[in-house]
Amino acid sequence: MEPPTKPIPNPLKLEREMDYTLDFEELNKNSLQMVGGKNASLGEMIGAGIHVPPGFAVTTDSYLRFITETGIKGAIFQALSGLSVDDVEALNNASAEVQNLINNVPMSDNVRVAIEEGYAQLCTKCVVETVPVAVRSSATAEDLPTASFAGQQDTYLWVEGIENVIDSVQRCWASLFTPRAISYRIKNDFSHEKVLISVGVQKMVNSRTAGVMFTINPTDGDLSKVVIEGSWGLGETVVSGSVNPDKFVVDKVLLEISDKTISTKHIQCVYDPDRGEVVNADVEPDMQSKCCMGDYEIKELVKIGKEIEKHYGRAMDIEWAIDKDFSFPESVFIVQARPETVWSQRKKESVIGKKSGYQLLMEQAMKRIKIQG
Amino acid sequence: MAEEKAARFPDPHEFQVPSELEGWEEMYPSHYLFSKERGEWESKQFWYLDKIHAPEPMPPLDLIFQEAWQISLSQYTTRVFCIPPAQGIAQRMVGPYMYICAIAPPPEEVIGEKAQRFEKRVFYVFEHYDELWDKWLTKFKALGNEMEAVEVPKELPKFVPEDQVLPAPTGYYVSYDILESFNNLVNQIFKGWQYHFEMLNLTYLAYLMFGDVCRKLFPGIKESAIGKMVAGAYVSMFRPEEELCKLSRLATSLSSVANILKGEGMADQKIAELEKSEDGKKWLAAFDKAKDPWFYVSCGSGWFHYEGSWINSLDIPYSYIKSYVERLENGETIERSLDEVNKERDETVAKYRELIQSDEDRDAFNNAYNTVRTIYRYAEDHLFWVEHWFHTIWFAKIREFGSLLADNGMINEVDDIFMFNRYEIPELLTEIATGWALGVDIPVRGDYYKAKVDKRKKILKAASEWNPSPALGVPPEEVAEPFTIMLWGVTTDKVKEWLKGMGEVRPEDVSELKGFASSAGIVEGPAKVLKRLKDIVDLKEGEIMVCPTTNPSWAPVFTKIKAAITDIGGLTSHAAIVCREYGLPAVTGTGVATSIIKTGDILKVDGDTGVVTIVKRAN
Repeated sequence: MEPPTKPIPNPLKLEREMDYTLDFEELNKNSLQMVGGKNASLGEMIGAGIHVPPGFAVTTDSYLRFITETGIKGAIFQALSGLSVDDVEALNNASAEVQNLINNVPMSDNVRVAIEEGYAQLCTKCVVETVPVAVRSSATAEDLPTASFAGQQDTYLWVEGIENVIDSVQRCWASLFTPRAISYRIKNDFSHEKVLISVGVQKMVNSRTAGVMFTINPTDGDLSKVVIEGSWGLGETVVSGSVNPDKFVVDKVLLEISDKTISTKHIQCVYDPDRGEVVNADVEPDMQSKCCMGDYEIKELVKIGKEIEKHYGRAMDIEWAIDKDFSFPESVFIVQARPETVWSQRKKESVIGKKSGYQLLMEQAMKRIKIQG
Repeated sequence: MAEEKAARFPDPHEFQVPSELEGWEEMYPSHYLFSKERGEWESKQFWYLDKIHAPEPMPPLDLIFQEAWQISLSQYTTRVFCIPPAQGIAQRMVGPYMYICAIAPPPEEVIGEKAQRFEKRVFYVFEHYDELWDKWLTKFKALGNEMEAVEVPKELPKFVPEDQVLPAPTGYYVSYDILESFNNLVNQIFKGWQYHFEMLNLTYLAYLMFGDVCRKLFPGIKESAIGKMVAGAYVSMFRPEEELCKLSRLATSLSSVANILKGEGMADQKIAELEKSEDGKKWLAAFDKAKDPWFYVSCGSGWFHYEGSWINSLDIPYSYIKSYVERLENGETIERSLDEVNKERDETVAKYRELIQSDEDRDAFNNAYNTVRTIYRYAEDHLFWVEHWFHTIWFAKIREFGSLLADNGMINEVDDIFMFNRYEIPELLTEIATGWALGVDIPVRGDYYKAKVDKRKKILKAASEWNPSPALGVPPEEVAEPFTIMLWGVTTDKVKEWLKGMGEVRPEDVSELKGFASSAGIVEGPAKVLKRLKDIVDLKEGEIMVCPTTNPSWAPVFTKIKAAITDIGGLTSHAAIVCREYGLPAVTGTGVATSIIKTGDILKVDGDTGVVTIVKRAN
């Protein structure tokens, strides 16, 4: 077993040796190796003037320090060695063992201090004693070619207080070793030791309505459309597909809402203060069939979506939320953005071909429209 | 089995019209009737109700425009420009309603022959469009002037004037003049309609081509977006309104004139008042200068004699001027900023272009766009000159004949002449010419014709209460004819929709209409059905206007309404363009809105999808 190799140093990192946590505002797309795709993307958007809830990243360095300083590193890679994808039981056992190690060992001191500081600063910024946050893993994606796979890692919502934050960070790290992730790496010949993970700690949006937005129509690849799906409460119900969201198709050029589908939204993901966690609650009957957002909010989202798309120079898949504690347009937050992968990969070739106006006219003249009786 | 039966359209030869329409056949020429002799062919075709050109029962003389377009539109497709798989559009009357049929493609060898000619002839037109348009306009204006110059005898004189006899007899007299003049008018209408389609088929073809390119690049693009990219701002159809704006501005610089124009009186009172001052005369001179051709604009589509035209309903332009003058004095801007419209269009095109990913596609888009833009003006410009200016001249001339016939006891009222078709009128004219020639105290069969007029008016009235089948015959396997696709939107969906409507639907049971999504936005509000422009006096602020069609003579209406719905008109129709400009939702070309919707119904107009929902019926 080879010792874990250190990530390739980058200039920013050399300057700041002890970057266990970094404020989102310090990040950009070049920070990917240190903070993973999601976090880098949030920093990049903040830099581009997009309205993103504040937060900080727990860097890949923290993860490395953690497994090194707590002394669990050897045991982790020992448990993972010699596994075969065909032996599901062994794989599950190894996964449980490794996750157990990561979740239960006390956080190493340096990293703990850094996270405590980061969280305290966030609380100060938000003027809340213990600000509720979303804790999400952010993969460096070196071994994860598709964005959809990255979505397998964990997210913890409405986490309050430093102990809970630290606990959630460890759980996110542990998510690197789900049976599926382990078997994926074995299949694709990636080393478990080279895989790094960062975690994002972001202020929770107290969302009235949330959902996703594509800057391309995912059903037909139409680049002139923005498609928004939204539902009541936190965006998790939309992302996970547990409700039929309201759907809006908007033309990017004319900014006209060309399609509006209002669905019956039975449940919503909300914070339950009694249970101290996020739950799926029933939606009030009279709200179920109500459109979850106003045209002005749709148009604002489209505007932001177009900016993000322009910034990245490609079609994007965006998560957004509308906060009930803020007034419009400050209420509209972007919580995540990643490149759209399905159409972007195949849409490069010409659909019409090299044709003159006359050729096109001739083709049209020869056309017959079939009528099916 | 009943269901299966309902899924077919009636055979045109078996289709029954209501008994109140009995005798309708004699109003129209024999080749317009479904007939035994052509029965086998007719039964195999698909005939659909032409709601665009014949939304209301057809007065016999107004059929002349239909007769003329059947020939002209078809010949340009089949024999002139040779659009390869397309054939012409045939027409038939069933009761006073017109059905049309896009004839199935010709045999393959004919398609091949046509393709060769198409390339040569059509591409030439695109390459030389500007100069061809100049030539077109020159000859069209000459034709209209020729029609205007046709002399219709005011009366049949007791004796022919001296100078027609001495020193040298002209050799032919008023009895011949009236027949010749009428024939000339008919010939001119047919000639004008031959010109009408000179480039129109190609324009539509180019539009369809560009639309197709857009849909390949942007599968979900709306027709309204395509229309917006193609439509022009500096088109003849908008000139009448621009002229009104100019006259209104002139009036505000001459305060005594403005005061007269703001008054409550009728147009002729205002004119008499204006005649009294120098400023007034100056303004009237400007009005006279603008009126020909620009106020020769129909208050409707131009297809029906009863619609009227600004020039013979001066109260309409004067009422607009009144409101424009008032708005100017309130410091409002009344002119449409055409540069702005053009700029916005160019920006729209640029933004779609930016979204295109590959260089080849961007080039193809540019090529398609430049091709359609080269010629599209024609669709917008010809309309004013033919349907408005030219038809206005025709109607005025025909009324002179109506007056002659009424004076000679053949009909009661001038407009009764429109109750006879173009083949019958020479018969009436011949009788009065004969009576005049025969001498004094010669009786005419006036009562016979007057009875015909009465009967025909009754038939037309009864027909307006009847909803004929949307289609007859067998749905086609394919359609290639460009007008059929673009104007009538005949597609599988449309045919299905018609089939659905076959089960004897009463207007009051319909709760949803579909048309073109011509201008975006969704609103709800009360309907006001305006069958004629003169009904606009009843229109209240914030109502949703429902009308057969609009044109620039309706322009001031748009500042009052919440949304517009029309029976007739596509994405580049007047209502569509103006509503987009004012940001009002519009659904155009619904075919039936004015017969289904009643004033006071609460409507939801969805200009994004082209759907009008009747939310609540008026009591």
